[in-house]
Amino acid sequence: MNEIPPNQDEADEVDNRYRRESALDPSRPSESVRRAVLEHATQLAAERTAKSGPAQLGAGRPAANPRWWRPTVFGTLAAAALAGLLIIPRFLAPDAPLFGALPTAPVQPNAAATAASQAEIREQAPDAMAGARRQSPPPAEEGALKPRTSSRNEATVADSAAEIGAKNSPAKVQRMTNAQSTAAGGGSEADARRAQTGGATGIAASPPQSAAPMAQSAAPAAQSPAPTAPPAAPAVQSVAPAALSAARTTPPARLADPAAEVRRAAEIGAVPELQTLLGRQGDIDARDESGRTALMLATLHGQARAVDMLLAHGADPNAADAQGVTPLQAAIAGDRPAIAAALRRAGAR
Amino acid sequence: MTVTGESDETLMGRYGRGDAAAFELLYRRHEMRIWRYLVRNVGNRATADELMQEVWFAVARDAARYEPTARFTTWLFTIAHNRMIDSIRTSRRQLSLDTLGYESESVVGQLTADPCSGPLAAAVARDQAGALLHALERLPVEQREAFLLQVEGDLSVEEIAAVTDSSFETTKSRLRYARTKLRELLKEHA
Repeated sequence: MNEIPPNQDEADEVDNRYRRESALDPSRPSESVRRAVLEHATQLAAERTAKSGPAQLGAGRPAANPRWWRPTVFGTLAAAALAGLLIIPRFLAPDAPLFGALPTAPVQPNAAATAASQAEIREQAPDAMAGARRQSPPPAEEGALKPRTSSRNEATVADSAAEIGAKNSPAKVQRMTNAQSTAAGGGSEADARRAQTGGATGIAASPPQSAAPMAQSAAPAAQSPAPTAPPAAPAVQSVAPAALSAARTTPPARLADPAAEVRRAAEIGAVPELQTLLGRQGDIDARDESGRTALMLATLHGQARAVDMLLAHGADPNAADAQGVTPLQAAIAGDRPAIAAALRRAGAR
Repeated sequence: MTVTGESDETLMGRYGRGDAAAFELLYRRHEMRIWRYLVRNVGNRATADELMQEVWFAVARDAARYEPTARFTTWLFTIAHNRMIDSIRTSRRQLSLDTLGYESESVVGQLTADPCSGPLAAAVARDQAGALLHALERLPVEQREAFLLQVEGDLSVEEIAAVTDSSFETTKSRLRYARTKLRELLKEHA
């Protein structure tokens, strides 16, 4: 068919005759088999639907899908950082009064707008901050400003902006509080009025504890400059890039099973990571729940370099999966001749 | 929306997400091809029924993990081949002409002709179909399987080699010998 036999006409004649006469064969699988197969398939489909139902509803579960959680997390963080870059400068003004409740704070025209300088101010004037916190609104009203989990990142940006705005001017605080209310899913007007009355109150209305945990953990650079940040730095421009770079350099959550990490790296073709892991990993042919080794996964996904590396580290080229499919069969079936050749050189049958 | 025009791989994807109708369509699309491949290789209806069920159970079970990096039919026939080999090894049945003979006679006897044709044409067609099945039975197991994978599964030589764990040249030879012998046997019958 795909390969030319010795005599194509005769082969066609035989094949055509087989097909023609085969159609006359009434032999069929028994009805009970058909019924059993379809019932089994329907049952499995129902189970899958039941399992996947909550996952479809819960859009905020990036880690549930191992393929997409990285882009989702990094994308969200990058978007939050970008939003910060775009929004924060709008609330900076050269005539902005400094945080009124901090008499000892140094006057820094630009740095006052940053989270870094905010932390610095807190460190330099802990008593003043404590005083400001004592003016905090009741917990119920604080809760109204806390972001919901569904808009965590946006709320974090708005929280930061509100803090910054509070240090600049009451008029800007009003705008910031509106933004915060939107992001938080509906803040109260009382909060806005309270914020308008003074910077200290504005700070108190959005205490540091209200910041989203994700932003705190994934972008530590935004807060870490507090002890060492140079005061004269153009902080507004540095905060978001710092958060962005922190997000980029934040190592992804490690899988509990090192063999699973190897399979994952092989599957996505992360060769440097794979090389590191192979130095530590004991069983290179460890299998997943479908009986697939790292070599099989690399083959299925066409990761030729990962295949070469795994073979060089002694991976079994004939390790079949639970269905008995070997890497070579998978390579041929997936039309990956280079990988098939590499597997054959390694002794695959 | 009709699903009849969808590819096997698309249907598998849909079934993997819980669409039972997609599986039924896939099953009906490939039921007879797998059945003929199995029953003509093992020569026993009961065994073929068991294998048929095992193969499709495996397809249903692994649908969620199926990745369309290979043609669905290649994957399907690989499962069928492996199940068949496992079954043969487990039961230690040796496929030979002797063991195939009785069952295949009954299959031949059940062949019917095109209902639109007359009694003479029906008799001729029945006879021809019997000759073909007899010829197929008389092929060596490896040649018969390679031939069936090609005509029923539409697999290429390289795919058949991969499915049967054989080299490309060996598979090509098996196909060549299978056709040559079928042709000779049919000529003898004529």
